[in-house]
Amino acid sequence: MKTLCLIIAFNFFHPLFAQNASDIVKKADEKMRGSTSQAELTIKTIRPSWTRSMEVKVWVKGNDYSMILVQSPAKDKGIVFLKRKKEVWNWMPALERTIKLPPSMMSQNWMGTDFTNDDLVKESSVVNDYDHSIVGDTVIDNRSCYIIQMIPKPEAAVVWSKLIVCIDKKDFLELHTRFYDEEGKIINIMNAYDVKTMDGRLIPTRFEMIPADKKNQKTEMTYKTIKYNRPIEDAFFTSEKMKTLN
Amino acid sequence: MKWLFIISAIIAGSSVFAQDSAESKTGKWEINGYIKNMQSLYFDKNFNNSVSGNLLHNRINIKWKPSEKITTVAEVRSRLFWGEEVKLTPEFASQLRNENEIVNLQQTWINKTSLVLLSNVERLYIDYQERNWNLRIGRQRINWGETITWNPNDIFNTYNFLDFDYEERPGVDGGKFKYLLNNFSNIELACATNGNKDGSVAAIKYALNKWGYDMQIITGWYHNQPTIGAGWAGNIKEAGFKGEVQYFIPARDSLPHLNVTLESDYMFKKGWYVNFGLLYTNQGFYKPVDNWEDIHLQFSPKNLMPTKWNIMLTTSKQFTPLFTGSMSTVYAPGTNLLIIFPTFQYNIATNLDITLVWQSFFSRYQNRFQAGNHSVFLRMKWSF
Repeated sequence: MKTLCLIIAFNFFHPLFAQNASDIVKKADEKMRGSTSQAELTIKTIRPSWTRSMEVKVWVKGNDYSMILVQSPAKDKGIVFLKRKKEVWNWMPALERTIKLPPSMMSQNWMGTDFTNDDLVKESSVVNDYDHSIVGDTVIDNRSCYIIQMIPKPEAAVVWSKLIVCIDKKDFLELHTRFYDEEGKIINIMNAYDVKTMDGRLIPTRFEMIPADKKNQKTEMTYKTIKYNRPIEDAFFTSEKMKTLN
Repeated sequence: MKWLFIISAIIAGSSVFAQDSAESKTGKWEINGYIKNMQSLYFDKNFNNSVSGNLLHNRINIKWKPSEKITTVAEVRSRLFWGEEVKLTPEFASQLRNENEIVNLQQTWINKTSLVLLSNVERLYIDYQERNWNLRIGRQRINWGETITWNPNDIFNTYNFLDFDYEERPGVDGGKFKYLLNNFSNIELACATNGNKDGSVAAIKYALNKWGYDMQIITGWYHNQPTIGAGWAGNIKEAGFKGEVQYFIPARDSLPHLNVTLESDYMFKKGWYVNFGLLYTNQGFYKPVDNWEDIHLQFSPKNLMPTKWNIMLTTSKQFTPLFTGSMSTVYAPGTNLLIIFPTFQYNIATNLDITLVWQSFFSRYQNRFQAGNHSVFLRMKWSF
């Protein structure tokens, strides 16, 4: 009888818990993403002996559409990346040509930074592509956070085998993430800082990505501006539009 | 001719001042470009003799948007050559002319035995953009390719895939009209002429994105021959899968020409990028030549390679965010033509790159497989 009660209790609470974890992830994701966003970012690649800085403009609509325009440095100015569902194109202004990129490029580092293409345009959905569970609590920068473990669903095309995410309990801010490869080895650590109100939302505005095996190098991404939920029509995310962004 | 350069110079100068006040507010003017310095060494097959070349190269790209719909573009390329290469090449300056251009906008400022300075207006067009159509008139590049290495569909302005120092590639004098049927398909009409009898190209292209593929079909006239073609770019699983086919229907005095290319690329873990390409040209040769000089690497839309079957494998890797290396190998069976083409690039400062390129050519001739020649190039590029 006791066992039965326990089983019932477990089955009763377990989905509830899972639901909670998913809800938290969903809220945090919705917070950073909105239905659409248009942002101007500075991406700084930092190594012990040098630093390179890049300025980009990013448009995102849901998980399916995104566009990145490189605004500086001069040598890369005007390069555009467009992602529509599973397809990715690259506009090379010097060549005046669009080149279709293989999907395998999405999981690799983007233009010499420690971010992957996928990190920037969030092709995979942290909400739909993973199963979530709360595994603990912690405090980051005086904010009490849930520790959530995310395991990719079997059918999801995701690079990582596991993510550990820390999400602020009050404002649903994703403040810390650890990325694990197929062998369970930690690959990247992402930290979020400088929580500010931008376009009426309280969000972290500076992110650093640190390769776990190279502690003295990192890439820092800072939001200069961001606008949420302004309508962007689907026609914006086309290779025709990509050519006229400059 | 000179007035054009003077105007360009004034435009370039004034827009620098305009940047602070006007550009940031209206975004009407834009100027960018680069200065490159390249040292070249050309060796014979046994490295017994060498010829050196020096090139100082400047490109200024000017864009002016007087209104939301109108864009005007002028791009000027100036090159200063000196040294043995100039001295030993007869008619050096005249060989630098783009044969596709009807209007001669090339100005030779200095033409001495071992010093040549010339400028050419590489692009000069006006572009009118409506919501669902676009018209571009003037000197421009009409890029109809889908693949990366060889582009049979590029029937207006073929480029030399070995000429790594000409990133923008040549253009043509003509017009292009594009009509968007919807977000995923469009029709493009283009024509260009070099002014010669039978020197015109006119074609229509229908392009469509469906089932994860970019697809296009082309039909038109190339010089005096009707031509048809098709191209696509898509993926098979995580790898790219692209291809182009172009057929030149035989007419009076011309043979049928068929060019087919297939290409696949993939990004492996740790940033190793691999591109594999195949090119078939029906008029290319498939037997060893008598002399190395019989292999003419002169390209045209009909002649993308002198050899019939060609395979190319390119591997590139970013060793650090600043240092990239790539290795290309082209091999043509039958002729046994082999081209080895490694490239190393290092970013010294934000807009300053140094590039080292090596090109070695081998082939079977005089009854044995041997080197044809070798070249090495060291280039500094500062972009602004």
